[in-house]
Amino acid sequence: MKALILNGEKDNKASLNKYSKIIIKELENRDYEVNTVILYEEKIADCIGCFGCWIKKPGICVIDDYAHKIATMFINSDLIIYLTPVVFGGYSYQLKKALDRMIPLISPFFIKVDGEIHHKPRYKEYPSILGIGVMSEFEKEQVELFNDLIKRNSINLHSPNYASEVFVKNKDIDHIQQGINNLLNRVSDKNE
Amino acid sequence: MNNTRKVILLIGSPRGVYSTSSVLGNYILKKLEEQNFKTEVLHIHSQLKSQSKREQLLDKIENVDLILLAFPLYVDTLPAPVIRTFELIAENISEKQQERTQKLIAIVNCGFPEASHNRYALATCEQFALETGMQWIGGLSLGMGGAISGKSLDKLGGMVTNVKKSLDLVSESIIKDEKISEKAIEYMAKPLLPSKWLYTFMGSISWRIQALKNKAYSKLNDTPFI
Repeated sequence: MKALILNGEKDNKASLNKYSKIIIKELENRDYEVNTVILYEEKIADCIGCFGCWIKKPGICVIDDYAHKIATMFINSDLIIYLTPVVFGGYSYQLKKALDRMIPLISPFFIKVDGEIHHKPRYKEYPSILGIGVMSEFEKEQVELFNDLIKRNSINLHSPNYASEVFVKNKDIDHIQQGINNLLNRVSDKNE
Repeated sequence: MNNTRKVILLIGSPRGVYSTSSVLGNYILKKLEEQNFKTEVLHIHSQLKSQSKREQLLDKIENVDLILLAFPLYVDTLPAPVIRTFELIAENISEKQQERTQKLIAIVNCGFPEASHNRYALATCEQFALETGMQWIGGLSLGMGGAISGKSLDKLGGMVTNVKKSLDLVSESIIKDEKISEKAIEYMAKPLLPSKWLYTFMGSISWRIQALKNKAYSKLNDTPFI
């Protein structure tokens, strides 16, 4: 099985480094082949909203940069990990700029999911999503918002499963390791 | 009511002046200009391109009374450059440790028939306002944005009656220095077309026509990455 970690670290201060290391270790223990992208290190342009990926080159973004490689890894993975500082209840700019460029992976056409309209899948199978947010102080509303956002993304990306958790900074390694283990169990249980 | 208040419209769509965000935001701005508000429009995507433009953006935001933010829904939440703008504003505030006096209104539009898709984007804007000490005046949520698609509201006839009612109410609230009314929120969230089926049917035809023009019709369902 393949896993892709999208590390939405804001800059080179490596504040998510310890989380990334634990996630990689736990995934490798479960025999995942792991790819990690530290997004701020890569050249990824912002989506320009042209819909060229639907009507000019269906399935491929018209901007030729590293987002192509991410899209290829994304759709060929079993599990995607969104690792990000929690920014006002959502993702960092670094993570979101990559996610905005994953639109080619879905179809422009529509489908009803639980009575609500979403875009149709382009591919037969999509990866599960694991959202891991990190924040300096616990803020209930933002934690709930982050968890809701992961759920919404999993619906729109036709993910078979999702799980998410927000970790408060400065917790000890054992606590983080246990939390990530539990999250991986939750995702794996439904994947199998 | 004093009429020296400054309002900045931040457009969060990469389509700039051709966007639905621009159409909605500028409708309100025009009403405010009639009341002698000082207004300005900034396009986030171009404003983030250089350090000097980013500084200009932050300076302008520091000196307004109201920020009117209009953007399209991208992957269930704010487009990346709008998040970047929030991050920059928050860092700037934290560095300067100034007390905020600005107010924030957000208008989100999405291409899905249901306006409710936008609720988490609006919640994020509210959290931003809370965290940065701005005053959250409220948010509007529009579905079926594809039916407007950057066209002037005056050319869209009865389809946008509720949109105009909503924007008129919001303009009045701003002039009176009040929060956005529930009625304004309700009007904006009303469907532009009578049925979801009709909207998605027309949307699908539009995608097919555009693909045909680009000689990409036969590739519409391609799966290039597998």
